Amino acid sequence: MSKSLLKRFEWKDKLLAFIVPLLVLVAWQSAVSLQLFSEMILVPPLTVMNTLVDLARTGDLTNNIISSLKRVLSGFLLGASTGFFLGLLMGLSSLLDRFVGPLIKACKQVPQFALMPLIILWFGIDEVSKVVFISIGAFFPMVFNTYQGVSGVPKKYRELARVFNYKSFRYLTKVILPGALPSIITGVRHSLGLSWMFVVGAELFGSESGVGYMMVWARQLFQIDIVMAGLFVIGIIGFTMNIILQIIEKRVLRWRVSFDGRMA
Amino acid sequence: MSIGKGILEIKNLSKSFIVDNNPLQVLNDINITIPPGNFVSIIGSSGCGKTTLLRIVLGLETNYEGDALIDGEQIEGPGINRGIVFQDHRLLPWLTVGENVAFGLDGKSRKETEVIVDEHLKLVGLNGFKSAYPCQLSGGMAQRAAIARALANKPEILLLDEPLGSLDAMTRMHMQKELERIWLFEKITMILVTHDVEEAIYLGDKVVIMSSRPGVIKKIIDIPFTRPRDRSSYEFMQIKSEILEEFHLGVEHPFIYSI
Amino acid sequence: MLVSITLPVLLILFWQLITSTGYVSPHILPLPKNVIKIFLSLFSEERLMLHIVISLRRVMSGFLIGIAAGFSFGLLIGLSRTGEKIFAPFFHALRQVPMIGWIPLIVMWFGMSELPRILVIAISAFYPMALNTFTGVRNVPSEYIELASVYGYKRLKLIRRVIIPAALPSIITGITLSLGMSWVILVAAELLIETPVGIGRLISNGRETCNMEQVLVGIITVALLGFIMTMMIEKLAKVVERGRSIHQEL
Repeated sequence: MSKSLLKRFEWKDKLLAFIVPLLVLVAWQSAVSLQLFSEMILVPPLTVMNTLVDLARTGDLTNNIISSLKRVLSGFLLGASTGFFLGLLMGLSSLLDRFVGPLIKACKQVPQFALMPLIILWFGIDEVSKVVFISIGAFFPMVFNTYQGVSGVPKKYRELARVFNYKSFRYLTKVILPGALPSIITGVRHSLGLSWMFVVGAELFGSESGVGYMMVWARQLFQIDIVMAGLFVIGIIGFTMNIILQIIEKRVLRWRVSFDGRMA
Repeated sequence: MSIGKGILEIKNLSKSFIVDNNPLQVLNDINITIPPGNFVSIIGSSGCGKTTLLRIVLGLETNYEGDALIDGEQIEGPGINRGIVFQDHRLLPWLTVGENVAFGLDGKSRKETEVIVDEHLKLVGLNGFKSAYPCQLSGGMAQRAAIARALANKPEILLLDEPLGSLDAMTRMHMQKELERIWLFEKITMILVTHDVEEAIYLGDKVVIMSSRPGVIKKIIDIPFTRPRDRSSYEFMQIKSEILEEFHLGVEHPFIYSI
Repeated sequence: MLVSITLPVLLILFWQLITSTGYVSPHILPLPKNVIKIFLSLFSEERLMLHIVISLRRVMSGFLIGIAAGFSFGLLIGLSRTGEKIFAPFFHALRQVPMIGWIPLIVMWFGMSELPRILVIAISAFYPMALNTFTGVRNVPSEYIELASVYGYKRLKLIRRVIIPAALPSIITGITLSLGMSWVILVAAELLIETPVGIGRLISNGRETCNMEQVLVGIITVALLGFIMTMMIEKLAKVVERGRSIHQEL
């Protein structure tokens, strides 16, 4: 098969991907045009776009995005780094694993949103409680994935390190961490994803800034265009985070044989 | 290389494992001395403890009875005077071939490391693959890289644990030749564990035959032939059938003579 | 075993110590025995039971709707390459929106009623189920499908007898993940979409009245129920797995 033919097929595939979004837009627009719903429930797609542009122009949107991102970043860094170190230590020491492992597993069973009221009572309603809440969300995927990665480094590689007299630091940086890396990266991805969900949750729960706050406030004023614009923005940011992590993953894990058929 | 360094002496060596709370004797009263620069093949059916013996010499198995000495000193753990090539190449998938070969080099400058790596890649015939990743190598090539890694530390004794066991027959014969060439070049002791009789004879100055449950040395056969050896010569075939007879696999006569 | 209960015991002792000495005010952290007392009194008044039953009903309805939809959708895009090309990109794009983000919009559409709560739970159960069904179907070895076509299996029989059984482990993983997700989102839905009854209500009620004991009782109840559900699903998965391995031995 010639290369140009293959390319044309891919082109067609990409077009197929636009069918559903297009249909949704058409249905949306016609529902508005036919006045099936009140304006409080559905506004035209273009209005949402205009609202988005307006919000961006006044700087409201940027400010809210920045304050959400700040929270996510601090919560994620706090939770993920704690999770990473604890997971690493648990993976290296079976005693520590038996000591704290069951407790952490039990804690994971608590739906973390249930902790929100408790955290507010303990830390107040301001920034600190949000960061703590997000860090709890970021902590669990990181601790489990790091632990799994570290304890899953094959025994044959550990043995090899012993044969070559590897001592702690070199052993950690050359054998254990690279071996655990795929799992750690999965942890980072889930951890960041949950952080993003938790920040929205925390902001919906009570806040004076952030994308989530923007949506709650708009809901109370029945401004559905802003709610939809907010939804669009959090989707785009979640999507971008995922893409960035995928790019990093590809670069860092070059050594891995990929089974996604792209090698062939 | 100073001749006389790296004498391996094993005296009255026994080793047992605890399996289901019962001791299981794996090695019983092993005695053998291997002078520096020798090539010794150890052959035996599976479960005869040959790999355990190798792991004791390597220092991965401790708690044995008797003596395992290198230059008169008891083996208590792994050391860089002994190198190992495992059956699975055990190249770390996240390091390039060059980095894998440099894996055991410690405290050397960048330049020195480069020189050693290049030298050994050339020795095993892998120049040009320095920056490749292990997943890009064939089985034989990966095993060459593993040999280079083991040799980069200049060990006095190189232990080979069925290194060619997972290769196809043609690659295997080719790699046997390569091993011989490397051994002649490096002039170090090599101890090869294998279950391929022909390989044991082709490479060994001595062939140690072990039998199982518990593992004991049944016989040590000297191979007097000059190198390179001819696998199809009459003498070669005769020794092969002698060894096979030890495993009750012998054929009455290796050749049919006119009566 | 002994090592693993050391830390929880130490923590409870620590809790008892700092509260009983008055080092920490009971408004921040109540005495363990008071939490137990409130738990027992709520339990005996059957109020706790009511909250639990309502929450369970909510989570189960959402979960069942979500996995049924997720299974059908996963099967559709798994079986049909064209279906995948048409629906999968939109599905993956939509998946990037954190579940919680849907709540304001859904509330505007459906009001503060039972429907939006169940809908949010259903959406959150939908994604893992769809994804795992899809990968399960796609990873069915082509040898099996070839074999079935040799025996003249028609499409429906092929799906029922070959594809779904082969994809089962992945589908079960999907069910487990979906249940976990539903459970997490349930509490969020109950906290963010006001409701007169449910464990989430119990917790937020406790917060509003500064009744720390009640908040803790709510959290512990949610954790225990989540734990029991996970255990049940894991048991179920094991039974199914065992059934399969016996099948293979025969």
